[in-house]
Amino acid sequence: MTETSSPPEQLRSRLWHTINERYPGSMISKDDAVPLAPLRKPTRESRLTFVSTAGVQPKGSLPLDTVHPVGDYTFRRVPSTTKPADLEIHQIKYPTVGAHRDLNVIFPIERLQELVAEGAIGGLTRSFFTFIGYNMDPDRVERDLAVSIANAVQDEEADIALMCPA
Amino acid sequence: MSLSVARDVSEMVRPPRVVFAPFMMGHHFGVPFHRELQRRMIFEALDHLVHAQVSGETRVVPVTWAQARSEGRAIEERMK
Repeated sequence: MTETSSPPEQLRSRLWHTINERYPGSMISKDDAVPLAPLRKPTRESRLTFVSTAGVQPKGSLPLDTVHPVGDYTFRRVPSTTKPADLEIHQIKYPTVGAHRDLNVIFPIERLQELVAEGAIGGLTRSFFTFIGYNMDPDRVERDLAVSIANAVQDEEADIALMCPA
Repeated sequence: MSLSVARDVSEMVRPPRVVFAPFMMGHHFGVPFHRELQRRMIFEALDHLVHAQVSGETRVVPVTWAQARSEGRAIEERMK
């Protein structure tokens, strides 16, 4: 990989190896990078979607199963017009101390809505997409969950996908 | 376009474009009520989307978690 600026260190080092030692085979690794897809139009004309493992979902929707021993391979749609007060978090594998005070630290729905209103982004897909990262079968994630989300993103005609592994 | 606080994980998964910030897990866009930092992280991602030249390229945001927390505390003091 290349860098475009000076390299600060991540707060928790060797995260991939630490998790893979505790849960062997649970972590994804790839030999090759996905080919770079060029942006087809300026960001101010592009429709953006947000895909997150934060487990954020509308209040009243079926909670993601955070205690299943092998994980939950489903996803939830979050209407991109939603206010944070109408959302809740169903995920226990990352610190939510900041998100419970201001959801935008992990799910920046208000900032994205503002950037559309200001014209910096062309628009948002009707839905954003969330799931939980605690899934013990990475092949199933790739084969089922990732394909389902990719199809949904395509159906909503996204030009840009901002992805955030919580 | 992936936003990461775990650079080593991203390097194993190899998404085509990554923006890395050395923030605490679950705080990829910064700290509570720090609107400008949250916006900056999105703009870093959008800019990298346009300017990345090769697949796998990582942009490192030159900001520290301590700096983000300090700015966040100052913002919350002003909100009182």
